[in-house]
Amino acid sequence: MVDDLTAPVGSRGRGQMMGQGFAGLALVAAPLVLLIVLVLFPTVSMVANTFHVTGEGGRAFSLAKFAAFFADDYSVENLRYTLVWTVISCGTALSISLGLALYLRFSEGRIATMIHALSLFPLFVPAIVISYAMVRFLGPNGLFQLLLEKVGFTGYTTPYLTPVGPYIAFVWESLPLPVLVLSAGLAQVSDHAIEAARDLGAGPVRIFSQILLPQLKRSLLIGFALIFLGVVGSFTVPYLLGPPAPEMMGVYMQRTLGNMRPEEAQVQAVILMAVAAIVGGFYIATMLRNQRSR
Amino acid sequence: MRRSKTPFGGLILLAAMGLAMLGPIMTVMVWAFAVKWRYPNLVPSEWGLKYWHVILGRSTVIEPILTSLALTSVATTLAALICWPAAYAFARLQFPGRQLLLFSFIAANAVPKFTLFVSIAVVFLQLGMVGTFWGVVMVQMLSAILFMIWIPTAAFRGIPPALEEAGFDLGASRLRVFWSITLPQAMPALAASYVLAFVAIMFEVDSALLIGAPKITTMPLLMLSLSAQVIVQEAAVLCVMIWVPCFALLLLTRRFMSSKGIAQGFGA
Amino acid sequence: MLRTVKLTKTFNQMTAVAEASFAVEKGELICLLGPSGCGKSTLLRMIAGLTPSDAGSIEIDGQDVTERQANKRPTAMVFQSHALWNHMSVAQNVSFGLRVQGLARDVIAAKVTEALRLVGLDGFEKRRPTELSGGQAQRVALARCLVVEPKVLLMDEPFSALDAHLRANLREELKALQRRLGLTTVFVTHDQEEAMELADRIVVMNAGRIEQIGQPADLYLEPQTLTVARFIGQMNEATVPVVRGQANWLGQRVAVGAADGAVTLLCRPEDLRRDPAGIAGRVARVIDLGPVLRVTVATEEGATLTWLCARADAPVVGAPLALVATRLLAYQNGVRVAVPVLTKPQLESVMP
Repeated sequence: MVDDLTAPVGSRGRGQMMGQGFAGLALVAAPLVLLIVLVLFPTVSMVANTFHVTGEGGRAFSLAKFAAFFADDYSVENLRYTLVWTVISCGTALSISLGLALYLRFSEGRIATMIHALSLFPLFVPAIVISYAMVRFLGPNGLFQLLLEKVGFTGYTTPYLTPVGPYIAFVWESLPLPVLVLSAGLAQVSDHAIEAARDLGAGPVRIFSQILLPQLKRSLLIGFALIFLGVVGSFTVPYLLGPPAPEMMGVYMQRTLGNMRPEEAQVQAVILMAVAAIVGGFYIATMLRNQRSR
Repeated sequence: MRRSKTPFGGLILLAAMGLAMLGPIMTVMVWAFAVKWRYPNLVPSEWGLKYWHVILGRSTVIEPILTSLALTSVATTLAALICWPAAYAFARLQFPGRQLLLFSFIAANAVPKFTLFVSIAVVFLQLGMVGTFWGVVMVQMLSAILFMIWIPTAAFRGIPPALEEAGFDLGASRLRVFWSITLPQAMPALAASYVLAFVAIMFEVDSALLIGAPKITTMPLLMLSLSAQVIVQEAAVLCVMIWVPCFALLLLTRRFMSSKGIAQGFGA
Repeated sequence: MLRTVKLTKTFNQMTAVAEASFAVEKGELICLLGPSGCGKSTLLRMIAGLTPSDAGSIEIDGQDVTERQANKRPTAMVFQSHALWNHMSVAQNVSFGLRVQGLARDVIAAKVTEALRLVGLDGFEKRRPTELSGGQAQRVALARCLVVEPKVLLMDEPFSALDAHLRANLREELKALQRRLGLTTVFVTHDQEEAMELADRIVVMNAGRIEQIGQPADLYLEPQTLTVARFIGQMNEATVPVVRGQANWLGQRVAVGAADGAVTLLCRPEDLRRDPAGIAGRVARVIDLGPVLRVTVATEEGATLTWLCARADAPVVGAPLALVATRLLAYQNGVRVAVPVLTKPQLESVMP
């Protein structure tokens, strides 16, 4: 009904609607072609490639490439390393942002505004900038070490070039989106609902677990997915801050491709995509549900 | 609601957040203007613009910056040209598959970009497009589409239809209504989407590395190589020089984009 | 000046407007009145050309404009949301229609000044819409329409977003301006007081159909359908059986010009009068409205009557009271049937 009202005006309907259909499709055609050429086609051809081997008898279906990946200890170790640290980073970033979102939900004033602004700051900082900055801040003889020594703490060992280095940068980078998403979720719980619960004698823990948390399920899922998808395929942060071995999959793929072994890089990419697809599927499903319920 | 009276806890949180969020960037800022900064001094012993002159006098630095500016401008502008009309169509026109297509643009977000770039790189390798200007432009446009579809679509949707109807009713043609009313109304959000995409592409390492390198060296690739160098200041100067103006631009766009809007764009 | 013939609009099988036919004379102000969702706004938008009609025709000044788009029709519309363009100044807003016509710059400037003067906003040219109050914004929206000298001015609940006091003022101003300029106007509202005050004639709509067209007094005194009777003003209502032309309204016997069956009898609160031989009851509540009192009476039969009484007649709560109806309206199957004006009411002691 609303769409009918907003539709541009025509004399007596039908022909006009047809015209709109063509115009609409024509206008979205160009970016759609880009999406097909640069996303759909390469992905499909890549997946198809990894499931085939080309031998003397031509192209044949085979799982040999995947078998090779999983037979290689170093590859498996990289995959395991990537997943473990991605999940740890997600958990940390999600916990911190939940804490921040809760604090921001129940606070107001200048301090809260500043904390809000600080938590969104990473949105404006590209990965390459923060990676370099982290090297200088957390690295050996970096500013953080200097500050600790000034207050008398001398036992600092730098996380630079250890798995903890990229982990810290991941958490730093990942804060804003879950804070935004969780804040939006918390904003849907009215003050009245919380006051009513408090009137009935509910303590902070009960209010959190029984009133806020159920409302936040979807937001938490979306927050987790956003962080996971951002971290799992990252390159710059682990490249600059991480240990030489094991490698995150992004770094590994880049090196494989750089060594002119595109077929192996494809296998690595397909495996990573499959992992991401599980999380991405949850993300898309939750997003669809949210859009429907809006 | 109970708001805490004493902001003591808040102050501690603020201090911790300040150190964690701003500390790294501040370090870079200081390095950019430090001539001598030796362990264990908390501040540089000598300040100055020495390394700015060093950096700006080197063609191996200037060229990647110009390359990046050219690539990013072309890619962002082309993306805007194809995405903004599409956003208008998504917001205002009825056509078959509208919801599904709009959703496919947003869902492309759920695929890790690096794996996409690997798949594109393999295709481009076969086509001989790796290391070419237009090859990189195409991939960067893909990165831009993310910002250039959903922000403008939301902006066009946010314009009350009555504004356009009022113009149409007063005798303006549909083109005139679009030009004089719809476009100016959507302009702040369109500009914001342009800036967001521009900055994101400008600093994007992944596409430049997989599709552009080694023939095309962009600014982020230069930073990547400078980051590992012994002379700390060079990368610091580059960071401050390129990022600070971009940051200022991004702050301007914040006025036109609510936090809630961003959260909704990601499906919250 | 304006004539619609059997204008019809259907949205997804839902009939929004069904065969609406009415005519507006030159210089006349017509109100489309009805509850929300009755199709009055859709009808207005079809006249403007903003919503295409499915069937029927629209004629303006003797010309059939049914097939013309909104920008080719000599109409101008004031929207509920005022729909000012906040990226333009007040002057740019007002001059838009003239600029579209390609008039000379000095002509435009003179007309804009004149239009703003008419709505009492001289000197507001440079302001931004965001700097205007709600009332001022709606005046600018009006000026933006007046300046193109439309043959028909269309107004879609233009004052409903404003507070009551301002609304009353703007109504008076609009009426004066409309008289002075002889503007042919169609005004949509859901507020019957607004319609009564503004309109030369009112078109009452319900569920997509035109129920009745008439002057405000006609609609009030002689509502032709039950819907109109219920919608306009207050009523005491009772549905009772008719037997051989006789019905019984709370014990008061009346002759009804209707077939045997059920009939709905309505009585305005001011059409009740005290009469010792009338319907007996007790005063349940008295509300002082200022000029008159609204008295709620609980009758002995268990019905409730609302009576508007003069201050001099004021009863006290709990007091016994007897009332008779001096005028009744009767409807059978929603259509009006005759009830002779009651001069000497007869009362029955026993309900049939």
